Amino acid sequence: MTAQKYHKSDIATAQLQTAIVLFLGGRDRSSVITLAGAASGILEQLVRNEGKIPFVDYARSLAPGPTPPRGTANRVINDVLGINPHKHMKADCADALEIDLEKCAEDAITKAVGDHVTLHGREHDFIKAFLQWAWINRNGPQVMEEYNKSPEKIKRYGRANIRKT
Amino acid sequence: MAAQIYERLDLAANQLETAIGLFIGGHDRFSVITLAGAADGILTQIVSNRGEETFAEILVREDDDKTMSRSRMGTHVNTILLINELKHMDKHGDGCITVDAEECALATILKALANFVTLRDNEVDFVKAFLLWVRLNLDPHRYNVNCEPNWKPTPRKE
Repeated sequence: MTAQKYHKSDIATAQLQTAIVLFLGGRDRSSVITLAGAASGILEQLVRNEGKIPFVDYARSLAPGPTPPRGTANRVINDVLGINPHKHMKADCADALEIDLEKCAEDAITKAVGDHVTLHGREHDFIKAFLQWAWINRNGPQVMEEYNKSPEKIKRYGRANIRKT
Repeated sequence: MAAQIYERLDLAANQLETAIGLFIGGHDRFSVITLAGAADGILTQIVSNRGEETFAEILVREDDDKTMSRSRMGTHVNTILLINELKHMDKHGDGCITVDAEECALATILKALANFVTLRDNEVDFVKAFLLWVRLNLDPHRYNVNCEPNWKPTPRKE
C-alpha cells in the first residue's frame, strides 16, 4: 500500500461508474445517490474549466426571474436529489426522511452523466449502458420528440456542449 | 416507486454496507471512501443526538493537544481521509491528489464503523464480515484486529 497520484477526473469517473453499476444491478439506491453526487461535484468544475456549461449553470439559466447564485442552485438541486441528506445531518434534523430513492438515484446519475458526456463523450461502456437503459425505460423516442419541439433556450445546452471531434 | 419514509440510520447503514462490500470485493477505493464518509456524516450526528460519545470525541479525549475541539478534530480527520476532496473540486489547482487509497478506504470504514457499532452492535452481518476480513488480512502488530479495549501497537519481532 503506497501513495499514488490521481487526477480528479479519473476519481469522478470511477465514482460514477460504480454508481451506474450499482443502479443497473438493482443495488442500494442511497449509495447510488451519494456516488453520483460526489462525481457531479467534481465534474461540474472540470466542465467549467473546459469553457463549457455544466448542468447546474444550464439549470440556473432556465430559472424564472433573476439567475440564482450558483451556490444556492447547487444546494437546492442537491437537496431535491437527496444528495445532501445522504451525507449531512444537522442536530435538529428528524431521525426519519421522506424520499423517493428510486427517482433520486436515477436523476442524480442523469445529472452527473450530462456533465461526464460533456467532458468525455459517450464512449465509456458504463455511460453507453446507462443511456441505453434510459432510452428503453424512459421512452427515448418520445423524449426526443418532445425535445425537438422545445424552445431554442432549452436546446441551447446540448448544442453548446457538443463535442468537436 | 413513490416517496417513502426512511430512518436516516438505515440510509447510513446501507451506504456503509455497500462501502464494505466494495472494499472486500476489491472494487474502486474512492467509491469506498465516499460512501463510508457519507455514512459517517449521518452516523456521527445520530450518535451525538443520542448522548453517546462519537469517534471524533474519543479522539479528542485521547489527544495530547488539550485545546483540540470536536469540530476541529472532525475536520482534521476528514481532511486526512480526503473525504471532502473526493466530492468537490476547486476552481484553481491542477486537480491532482496524492493518496494511499487503500489505507484511506480502510480508515474511513473503521471510522464509520466505530460510530455504527455505538448505535447498533457487532452482530450485524456486514460488520461481522468486515471484522473477519480485518482479522484475516491485517497485521496484528499494527492494527487492533481483535478490537481489544487496551490494545497498543507492538513492534514486530525480527
